[in-house]
Amino acid sequence: MTEMPVDRPDVIPPSRLRRAWDSDFAWSFRHSPVAMVSAFFTALLVLSAVFAPLLATTNPYDPASLNLMNGFTAPGTPNAFTGESFLMGTDDQGRDVFSTILYGMRISLFVGFAAVLLAMLIGVTLGLVAGYRGGWVETLIMRTADVQLTFPAILVAMLIFGIAKGVTPVEYRDQMAIWVLILAIGLSDWVQFARVVRGATLVERKKEYVQAAQLIGRSGFAITFRHILPNVLSPVLVIATISLALAIIAEATLSFLGVGAPPTQPSLGTLIRIGQGFLFSGEWWILFFPAVTLLVLALSVNLLGDWLRDALNPRMR
Amino acid sequence: MQRFLTASAMSLTLASAAGAAPFSWAGTTDPQTMDPHAVNSAPVLGFLNNVYEGLVRRGKDMAIEPALATSWEPIQSDGGGWRFTLRRGVTFHGGEDFTAEDVVFSYERAASPEADTASWFAGVTDVIAVNDYTVDILTAAPNPIFPDSIANWMIMDAGWAAANGAERPAKDAENFATLNANGTAAFQLSERQPGLKTVLTPFDGWWGEAEHNITTATFTPIQNPATAVAALLSGDVDMINPVPIQDAARLDGRDGVEVIRGIEARVIMLGMAQGADLLKYGANEGDANPFTNVKVRQAVAHAVNVPAILQTIMRGSAEPASQLVSPAMRGYVPALSARPEYDPAKARDLLRSAGYPDGFGFGLKCPNDRYLNDEAVCQAVVSMLAQVGLDAELDAMPVRNYWPELREDNFDMYLLGWSPGTFDHEHPIRFLLATPNPEKKLGSWNFGDYSNARIDTLLPLIQSEVDDSKRQALMTEAVGIYQSEQAYVPLYVQPLVWGARDNITLTQRPDNFFILRWVTVK
Repeated sequence: MTEMPVDRPDVIPPSRLRRAWDSDFAWSFRHSPVAMVSAFFTALLVLSAVFAPLLATTNPYDPASLNLMNGFTAPGTPNAFTGESFLMGTDDQGRDVFSTILYGMRISLFVGFAAVLLAMLIGVTLGLVAGYRGGWVETLIMRTADVQLTFPAILVAMLIFGIAKGVTPVEYRDQMAIWVLILAIGLSDWVQFARVVRGATLVERKKEYVQAAQLIGRSGFAITFRHILPNVLSPVLVIATISLALAIIAEATLSFLGVGAPPTQPSLGTLIRIGQGFLFSGEWWILFFPAVTLLVLALSVNLLGDWLRDALNPRMR
Repeated sequence: MQRFLTASAMSLTLASAAGAAPFSWAGTTDPQTMDPHAVNSAPVLGFLNNVYEGLVRRGKDMAIEPALATSWEPIQSDGGGWRFTLRRGVTFHGGEDFTAEDVVFSYERAASPEADTASWFAGVTDVIAVNDYTVDILTAAPNPIFPDSIANWMIMDAGWAAANGAERPAKDAENFATLNANGTAAFQLSERQPGLKTVLTPFDGWWGEAEHNITTATFTPIQNPATAVAALLSGDVDMINPVPIQDAARLDGRDGVEVIRGIEARVIMLGMAQGADLLKYGANEGDANPFTNVKVRQAVAHAVNVPAILQTIMRGSAEPASQLVSPAMRGYVPALSARPEYDPAKARDLLRSAGYPDGFGFGLKCPNDRYLNDEAVCQAVVSMLAQVGLDAELDAMPVRNYWPELREDNFDMYLLGWSPGTFDHEHPIRFLLATPNPEKKLGSWNFGDYSNARIDTLLPLIQSEVDDSKRQALMTEAVGIYQSEQAYVPLYVQPLVWGARDNITLTQRPDNFFILRWVTVK
């Protein structure tokens, strides 16, 4: 890519893509092996989850396609009864572990993304309002946040999950399980966003452009969301990425505890819970492959978030 | 480190106090109540057999032997009945004397509509205290197996129940007797934390001779099978029930632990709502209930691949079941031992001729901490039914929530295990097949409301028939009816697998009751 001489004044200005490639941000990415490797794995896992129906050899969520006699097949060795062979083996129900991981990852990622989006929506709004309005509104929001912060997020999520499960009618529980998970994790995770956004807003609202907007009579709503919001978004992006890893783990934890995704539609956490029952009996693959997938997924998203934080932090440059 | 210290401290005390030692054990299911009349299920009755006693009890070989009654004889009168002579000098854990008044009270309590045990007293017309140590139990018709049928009828002190407002049991709610106990047996309840732990200590005033050498006995419910095995291997508990089937083979080879196997008297079966007009769950919620049609029930029986379940989930250690009792029970009919073969094509044909060519959706309720691999079996059933077009929506839950759901009729299909307390085929006919009738105390676990007039006629005949071959002929007729009507789909006889440290001596009874007074710690 170096054949284009950028220092010559007579050539056309570099394209948008070129400018993005040359930006500090991209430079930092290109010079961080950790970032590149974690981005590669994140992309790989997200893409394989998205295209799960194309990649998976079976549909593990379709009970009619399962053959119980395939149960407990070891990875790569043909089943003694059916002669079928599976890349990562099968679980106790004869589900192909590889396909189930792909489908399970969809649930994990969907719940993760949606929960972070919810947390971000709540947290950013409340943080902006708290930082801009000040006074008793700020006290109320931030003290609530402090109180919630004293409880571990997973505990809050379980509490919300319990209440939500209690109020949903029994017959809708299975369909609602995923949405309840999103609600539970989202509501338990908004505090981080609110605190950071409030801090940033406190700095921004003293700046001249805010005072100018106030002088020309723009409403408080417009100032917070049109003017301040774009300027506080970069730390939000960092927290969102780290929260995504946490949300994926929270979903896995809840499912592992048996309160998350239903057993007929296992997510990664449910798979690990199923596999745990066979740790002593030698069927290691039921636990091993989902656990490694979860580890790689959470680790790469987390490392990506770490790098993002450094890259967007002016003091670290 | 902390665990290591406590463990070594424990082995020190074990070594120093030779002959007497604390004992701890773990099971999947916490006995959900301490009330002996509130829930008629083995985890509760088995546990409370250590705390409460009945007039009679079962020995190591399941034979009936005297307990709070020293002898009994049939009353020669019209109708029928039994006269029990009570043991003298028995006191309750609270210090109260045991008399005939307590027996009469315990009858009224256990036979009340609030009790789950009322079916035991179907046919009992009256219980009369003749004097302080003699009780007459009168029945409408002669009942030769009556003393065999009351081994789990536990006697509670009348004064204690009245003083604490627990004159009637509370099935799904709580009262004083669900958290406290006052029996006459070898152990008394010293601590009860539902779902966490329950501690029993020997009762010094027990009338019998102690065979055990336990100083305290602690029960901890551990729902996760792998955790229970780990606790046994590390010595945190001395005994676990059950050992997960998948781990039994591996535990066999381990030093320090022993696997104790037996065949349980328990048959695992699928029940279906037959009295309900509408489906309650799934895609066809609110539609007419197809399970009232015998062809649909037969289709279910042919769609479930029992050999595959036994081969994989049960790892070859269970036997298929064709009747509501296992072959070892009295009244089993060997001639009718064939069960519906696995034949999905036939199941689809049956559904087609019943008017459901495309199948239908419904709800399947399942416990996840009651029977061996119960949830896995239910999941397998879901996928097998899906292959013939039946779309089951699975809802698995702990027994604590499960029994109330069944009592509320919140199911289209459910999983049930049944072990006849009397070791007689008459027991499941009375509990699971007789048309539910609270007044006559019949069919109290017939959640699906199966009803057949001929079965209802046969039951009292079976109960009062003294001649064995005539009784067996009646039984054969009853089995023929419930098999051809597919009242239930019996799946398999559950195996009994316990694990214990090798310094523990214990007795495994086929009813899966763990009796502490037979435990010695070396």
